[in-house]
Amino acid sequence: MKKQVSILLITAIALTFAFGCAKPPKAERELAEKAFRSAAIGKDCDKENYLAAEELLNKAREEINNKNYDKAKELFLKVKEKSDAIVKYYQTHPDECLPKKEVEEEVEEDVEEIANPAEDPDLDFPVIHFELDQYDIRGEDMAQVELMAKWMLNFEEKVVRIEGHADERGSVDYNMSLGEKRASEVKNKLIQLGVDAKRIKIVSYGEEKPVDPASNDEAWYENRRAEFKRVN
Amino acid sequence: MSIYSRLIIFAFLLLTAGPLLSQVKVEVTDGTISEYNLAVSPVHTSEKELNELSSNITKAMEMAFNLTGFFNVLDSRSFLEKPQTKVNEIDFKTWMNVSAKGLIKGYLKGGAKPELELYFFDVAEGKKILQKTYKASPKMLKKAAYRFVNELVYLLTGEEMTFMFSRIAFVEKKKGMYSIITMDFDGSNKKIVHSSKKILLLPEWSADGKKIFFTSYEKNNPNLYSIDVRSKRIRLVSSYEGLNTSATAHPDGKNIALRLSKDGNAELYMLDTVSGKLKRLTRNMAIDTAPSFSPDGKEIAFVSNRSGNPHIYRVWTNNTSRVERLTVQGKYNQDPDYSPDGKYIAFTGRDEFYNFDIFIFNISTRVISRVTQKQSKNETPSFSPDSKLLVFSSNRKGHNAIYLSNVKGDKQVMVYYGNGEAITPAWSPQVIK
Repeated sequence: MKKQVSILLITAIALTFAFGCAKPPKAERELAEKAFRSAAIGKDCDKENYLAAEELLNKAREEINNKNYDKAKELFLKVKEKSDAIVKYYQTHPDECLPKKEVEEEVEEDVEEIANPAEDPDLDFPVIHFELDQYDIRGEDMAQVELMAKWMLNFEEKVVRIEGHADERGSVDYNMSLGEKRASEVKNKLIQLGVDAKRIKIVSYGEEKPVDPASNDEAWYENRRAEFKRVN
Repeated sequence: MSIYSRLIIFAFLLLTAGPLLSQVKVEVTDGTISEYNLAVSPVHTSEKELNELSSNITKAMEMAFNLTGFFNVLDSRSFLEKPQTKVNEIDFKTWMNVSAKGLIKGYLKGGAKPELELYFFDVAEGKKILQKTYKASPKMLKKAAYRFVNELVYLLTGEEMTFMFSRIAFVEKKKGMYSIITMDFDGSNKKIVHSSKKILLLPEWSADGKKIFFTSYEKNNPNLYSIDVRSKRIRLVSSYEGLNTSATAHPDGKNIALRLSKDGNAELYMLDTVSGKLKRLTRNMAIDTAPSFSPDGKEIAFVSNRSGNPHIYRVWTNNTSRVERLTVQGKYNQDPDYSPDGKYIAFTGRDEFYNFDIFIFNISTRVISRVTQKQSKNETPSFSPDSKLLVFSSNRKGHNAIYLSNVKGDKQVMVYYGNGEAITPAWSPQVIK
């Protein structure tokens, strides 16, 4: 009799183990689902792992439907692990993971706050700089010249004087021409952009009016310039 | 006449003619002039109040002899004989011992008008070659000494050294103040011709040396004026829109060439200063500036960046389509000045290390020689009226000062050092007594 009960017990236990727990892995599922929802923040920047976790979760849910509770549990645990890893990645890689949409919106707000300088009657006129011995307008200064053109077109009654300068090195005589050429290149660009030539005066001061009296590269750069001055 | 009489007469002639026929020419060997050792014994005076004047006259003669380039002026500290030694007591052996070939002795006596006696001796022959006595006010005695130097140099070399009788104009910038200053070639007799808080630039003499052309921002535009050096009367010469600068005088005393940018770009024009008539000389998009007339007025040396960088060119005034490029080396050549003898054009050149130096272009050989090197920044040369010397500005002592040099560059002397920047000197075109 004892032998038969033992065999029955063992068989029952074996069958229990063979057919797994009759209960679905509720706790594991809950943890996995919660972890996966949290991992949504890494959806874009850790895309590969997120999709993998998603696949595992779907598989786990399927296993539940098929009553493969052990397999399901295993999968739910894997989902949690992966999801936690995705959250960790997001926390350690802010540059990649911060949602771009948010940043863009911020920038747009800033731009909206600043008024259009070309419409500002009290605009602080830009200073255009030049390379040594040169008088062509550099690429990096073109936007400033265009801004002045827009300003002149907005304020049609305004007359400006462009003053051209050179740094102290080299011939006093030649520097007068360099200063003049710098002013007239800027004037020509304004005319090209639609400004009436009669509204633009030019004068050269050669090397006689530096903004920085020092004798070094920084000072010389500052002094090689064309400045705009209001005539009226 | 008996043969004996003839012999006696002949011997007598020989004795008296000797000094007149002494051969004391400066040696010329292998095409170069070897320097003649000259001892300038300090001018002696027994009157204490004339000590400074005698010392100034000695220094002036030493500098002038040195600048001519013919002499090696010996150091007076090595001399064995004292200045007060009278001419009939000179022991020429002591002068031979210091390697002197020629000896200058001078004596200064006081009075209402002091008297200066100057002598030149040939040391080897122990013979007096030149003697002059001058009686003048103290101020004029130094000029008299220069006359002596010029006469002696002519006697020895056949060359006239009139640089000693001319003046130099330049601009001094000091704490926002601009001045046009003139001075004797040696830096003495300085006169402020004009000064202003507004920019003054680029002085140049008229053909007769009586006026100076300059640019001023008096009317808030760079306009060209002339000022009479004596009366200080100022006249507006050119006030077109844009630049009116860089005048150079035609020998006819009426026309000038100058830079105007009224037609949209810096170009050269000829202006009749009497009628105001204008003739355009250049026509291109490049910067054309810094004109300098040849002595006959037929050509103009100038600067143009039509090749991409500023270089020296020549244009013919009667055929302005004839333009010749003179410099090819470097990327920055400026401020040409034609020598009054028409043989050279001096200019500023920037070398590959960004140093500025004085160069001379020989028009017939087309060879360029360098006058300054490794002496900081040197700019804007101008020839003396005898084409022997150049004046230029140099900042080798910290800030811009005025220097003289012979054409070779081995005899350089500073003649003006002020508190401000002394720049763009111009040597007067002729002797101004």
